[in-house]
Amino acid sequence: MNFRIAYIIARDEWRYWLRSRLSVAALVAASILIVAALISTITQVQTERTTRENFQAEAINTFESQPARHPHRMIHYGHYVFRTPAPLSVIDLGVDAAAGTVMFLEGHRQNSAVFTPNYSSANAGQLAELSPAFAYQVLTPLLLIILGFASISRERESATETLLYSISVAPLELWMGKIIALSGAALMSLLPLSLGLGLAISAGEHAGVAAYMLSGYALYLLTWVFIITAVSSSCQASSTALTLLLAGWIFFCIVISPVASGIASTGGAYEGKVVSDIAVQQALRGSGDGHNEADPAFDQFKMQLLQQYNVESIESLPINIRGMISKNAEEKQTQILNRFSDRRMEAARTQSRIVYWFGLLSPALALKNFSMNVAGTSLSEYQRFQHQAENVRFDFVQRLNNLHAEQLSYSDDINRSKDHQSEQRTRISPVHWKMLQPVAHHEDNEQERVSESLPHFIMLFFWCVFGAIWSVTRATRGAANAA
Amino acid sequence: MLHELRRELNHALKEPALRWLVLIAFSLSTIALLIGALTISHQKDMVLRLEAAVTAERLLTIKDKTDPGDIAYNLFHLTFDPPTDLAFMALGQRNERPWLHRLRMLALEGQIHETNDSNPEILILGQLDFTFFLSVLVPLIIISLLFDIEGRERREGRYELICAASPLGSRVFHIRAAVKSLLLTAAIILPFIAAAISNNLTILAFLSVLGLIFFQIVLWVIFCRIVTCIIPEAVTAALSLVTLWLLLTVLTPIIGKTAVENSLPVPNGGTILLTQRETVNAAWDLPKETTMDAFIHIYPEWKAQATINRPFEWKWYYAFQEMGDQAAQPKSWALYQGMTDRHEAMALVALLSPALFIERAMTELAGTDVLQHLRYVRCARAFHADLRHFYYPYLFNEKAMSENDLAQLPEFEPCAI
Repeated sequence: MNFRIAYIIARDEWRYWLRSRLSVAALVAASILIVAALISTITQVQTERTTRENFQAEAINTFESQPARHPHRMIHYGHYVFRTPAPLSVIDLGVDAAAGTVMFLEGHRQNSAVFTPNYSSANAGQLAELSPAFAYQVLTPLLLIILGFASISRERESATETLLYSISVAPLELWMGKIIALSGAALMSLLPLSLGLGLAISAGEHAGVAAYMLSGYALYLLTWVFIITAVSSSCQASSTALTLLLAGWIFFCIVISPVASGIASTGGAYEGKVVSDIAVQQALRGSGDGHNEADPAFDQFKMQLLQQYNVESIESLPINIRGMISKNAEEKQTQILNRFSDRRMEAARTQSRIVYWFGLLSPALALKNFSMNVAGTSLSEYQRFQHQAENVRFDFVQRLNNLHAEQLSYSDDINRSKDHQSEQRTRISPVHWKMLQPVAHHEDNEQERVSESLPHFIMLFFWCVFGAIWSVTRATRGAANAA
Repeated sequence: MLHELRRELNHALKEPALRWLVLIAFSLSTIALLIGALTISHQKDMVLRLEAAVTAERLLTIKDKTDPGDIAYNLFHLTFDPPTDLAFMALGQRNERPWLHRLRMLALEGQIHETNDSNPEILILGQLDFTFFLSVLVPLIIISLLFDIEGRERREGRYELICAASPLGSRVFHIRAAVKSLLLTAAIILPFIAAAISNNLTILAFLSVLGLIFFQIVLWVIFCRIVTCIIPEAVTAALSLVTLWLLLTVLTPIIGKTAVENSLPVPNGGTILLTQRETVNAAWDLPKETTMDAFIHIYPEWKAQATINRPFEWKWYYAFQEMGDQAAQPKSWALYQGMTDRHEAMALVALLSPALFIERAMTELAGTDVLQHLRYVRCARAFHADLRHFYYPYLFNEKAMSENDLAQLPEFEPCAI
């Protein structure tokens, strides 16, 4: 193959676009849309980040500045964690709009993350999302279709195809020229994405992960370039090519996603939190009330402690039995709570896995799943947030229980309702309240994100290879038609 | 005229593209209705199971208990927004905003914002219900059906011949478009009629949806006719129509949404939660009289019983729970007001976007829009108030509860639309 010829054909194609009002209009409109999407998403993410980080700082601050108190009161006072957006959410907001932003952490309970951004947003229909991810997944293919649907069929309609072949241009050179031309447009359109990725890198994202994300988008657009050229070279008329391509675009980019979610959710595997909460309540029955040291559920634990410290009565224990019981109960309860929340999260993942398989039916869905997972705006990342929040919760509750067991005398603790002096002594100093663990940052789990997005990357790769093979076969066979 | 119609019908039925499009429209319409029906029956089923589970739990919870404070603390009640008969056609916001809660007599602001923790990945993919089909997909099908009517005949060089052969002249193409559109309409409506019958829709609901279907089809047929008459070349016409679709279905709503949200800010949920916690927790450290004085200000009837002598009394506990709610409530109401204002402001955007107009009309009819969510929230809040008013006499008179008393417990009744 002579690449110089291919390049000349590509240059000619670019010149043709610049002369066509339609192509110029599409190019300008698409550029404006992508840039607008990027700018609006960056602003949105920045505002959200500032708001949530401020709330988080306020939550930590109010907890730490609480006055001297009984430690168990602090367990019920509780703490809040806010979910902050990942650096790459400037490209792909992913599940952010539909996932809770704040979670209340307290003893004896696991609450859900509440106040999704969608809760109070103005409803504008299902397609009203202007993020760069949406622009690349849905709008850019449309631009490529407009530019490329006639790339080969046009030559055929105006009989220039045969002319080209007669001056010893090989069909594959013609095909390569068109591919170069269209890939050039795709490459241009990736510029704003690179800018956004650069911004994410400066916000702490790993450069390798950003490059990986860029290559996923590039593969996706290249897939479209192949598909468009394949269809264009299999059709005798440009209008047929356009109709087929638009039908493909509607199927891949508009129809498949809601079909996949509909099938995944009507499977009924995932029941949600209310169902799970009732099951938890049933499982917890009889596990003992940690506030009540006389609860027979703790008899065995009490015996154990007496033996361990080799004393006769709970009064002579060197530690406060109430704190120990509270700690023991929290641990048992948390095991049960985690069992149910793990089950619930697994059910949600099963649902998502069904959706992931639909990536085989649509490169757009494969890219969406890839992009979300690598950006850290996927279900997995949301569940990691839930796990971390639970760790923060369990950690501070047990630290407070330890303080309860070690810093408070048992006699003060049981007399605090009757005796003011004892009550004062059960209030421990606020210096202890500086105990909250921070929630880890998104940048720290790049390995998980890369491995979770890898199956989707492979799917995209297969789509691209499939497109390339199809396109090459069509180009050579199409040439036979023309001659 | 009749002859022309019959000829166009025969002609259309022989066209493979039309057969495919009609088949696609029919299948999508059916799938959308099925997905909607399955989702709603799943939700109904869940409510039934939960009601049974909550009742069973209640019996175990109140067993051997007589202390009203203890009972109120432990007893959960199910509140929910049952789907309407039409909900299967417009699933709307039901998955995005909670329609199901398990409430007890503690401070409501800490409970009412809880969610069912749906899978966010499923939520962002959207749902293929009939509303999505009608508002987003039907225009695309109509465009594919009609963009090439004249263009094709021109390319084949038959345009003038056909016009000359027909007594209607070039208006014969209007007939052709009408015949094709009617076939498409039938493919869309037949599954709907079947679904309407099997779901016992009221005549009013049926006609309203039918009206919306016709509105959407007629509107896009007109768009197609206008564009194809202005732009004779089929490819350019098709692209212009798709651009128009993109503008009306995607871009206008996005721009409108951005404008509305920027001009109508709402309080952040975080403020509501933090306020509520501060007031409820601060009450433990406040002198008990401060809480009780504020409480009696609202409930003067309990003045005589409002003195708290022991370090812990249930009536004081529940009094400060309610006082915490009182402090956070204005913020919640401001949020709800903001959501209502945003919803109303979007009505203007819907005038510029047929897709959004259809979606709003359908979700309003089906009771799955944000207004219905807020109606449900008010209903659940009213139930919580009933619950408090039921327990207060027992708590303040320190009266043990008998089985008879417990039988009088308020039951949640979903509020009618």
